[in-house]
Amino acid sequence: MCWAGEGIISNNDNETKEIQHIYRNKTDKRILKKNPWKDYGLHLSVLLLVIIAELIGPIEINLTKGVTVSIMPLLYTMVLGLIFYLAKPIKWIQRKQSRVAEGAMMLFIGVLIAKLAVSSGQSIHLIFEMGPALILQELGHLATIFIALPVALLLGFKRETIGMTNSIGREPEVAVVVDKYGFNSPESRGIFALFIVGTIIGTVFISFLTSICVSVLPLHPYAFAMASGVGSASMNAASLGPTLAAFPSLETSIEAFAGFSNLLSFSIGIYIVIFIALPLTEKLYGFLEPKIGKKDVVNQQGGK
Amino acid sequence: MVDFIDGAENVSVHGIFNWILLLAIFSIITVVGNYIGYKHPIADSLVGMAMLSLITLCGVWMERELPFNISSIIYISVIGIVLAFPSMPTSGVLLHYVSQVELLSIVTVFLAYVGIGMGKSWNEFKSLGWRAIIVTVLVIASTYLGSAVVAHIILVMTGVPV
Repeated sequence: MCWAGEGIISNNDNETKEIQHIYRNKTDKRILKKNPWKDYGLHLSVLLLVIIAELIGPIEINLTKGVTVSIMPLLYTMVLGLIFYLAKPIKWIQRKQSRVAEGAMMLFIGVLIAKLAVSSGQSIHLIFEMGPALILQELGHLATIFIALPVALLLGFKRETIGMTNSIGREPEVAVVVDKYGFNSPESRGIFALFIVGTIIGTVFISFLTSICVSVLPLHPYAFAMASGVGSASMNAASLGPTLAAFPSLETSIEAFAGFSNLLSFSIGIYIVIFIALPLTEKLYGFLEPKIGKKDVVNQQGGK
Repeated sequence: MVDFIDGAENVSVHGIFNWILLLAIFSIITVVGNYIGYKHPIADSLVGMAMLSLITLCGVWMERELPFNISSIIYISVIGIVLAFPSMPTSGVLLHYVSQVELLSIVTVFLAYVGIGMGKSWNEFKSLGWRAIIVTVLVIASTYLGSAVVAHIILVMTGVPV
């Protein structure tokens, strides 16, 4: 069964306890042992993608009156990057480069976080004033359990549901679930599926979602900023794009909240998953499964 | 002798060298994008990127060398926040140069690497089927909206002006 991203498998075979160490292992494996900067083809391709993307610039599409979707250069580079990998004629971007890119990306998250942290430090008074909202919005993440879990059951998932719907399913949450249920459990299969689909479509999806939400929902600009920190660093970034574009005068405070919200997701978010989200998901599963559960779609098809 | 040469210290020095070069490459690409997209002066934004890279390097190094089980993301955040405190002597210089680098310029380069890196998962993604996609989309949307709505309610309750 080739279920998970190989990164997760290779790092978690035996050691699933070291929750935070997934990033570190991946980065070290690919950066310490090889000389990733020697991959000229990779870095020159990125440079090319960035130049193309910045030259095109952001595009705004009016869906209907008042609903605008903005497509940022950050989406072009990501999608073009994927196309570069998949396109057969581009021989200098292969699996090896993809691994190097992934390792390098783990390091580059740091630069992104550092930029957000500088904005947070600059606006530290705002962070203290908005403390309650920042912390309590972490509990808003639990909404996924009540909305996605029933749908997953109706679609015919069984215990996979528990892994799939307890949280947004990025690296820290994957580690928690694998640690609790074991690598070959249906719960882990569920969160691996969520992880992989989220990796491919999550960033693009959250960017469009944010774009639509900021133009339709009359929520506080800071609320959008805080919500952008729900997922991985790349999701955070993709969600920040349209938010910054919609409220240009609040740039520094929006970056500050996003940075802090991401920091919170990283530090206390894991404990919310362990102590609140997973038990709650189990309870709701136990309650709803006998009522609306369908035939087991996973075992029936021998996969999904 | 061979064991000694391949010892841990050498690996970590080697590692730091690789990190620095990678961060330099990343900085250069970001500065080019930053210049094309936002017309910020190249010299100033290079200094800004150097500062951010230095913070990153410290965080990454601390994660590996200090005996605590803390992610580099948390070290980096704390260092950045403390250095940018309005009352810190470092904040003036730091803010001047770092503000020359747009967040979105960094993100644009970062996501290019993400795009290439996610290529590996493409086949697994294709084999997962539409049910998994529906659930994932719902999970992301409801997490995002749940967080935004709760934040909005608390902001309004605590009387934060828009």
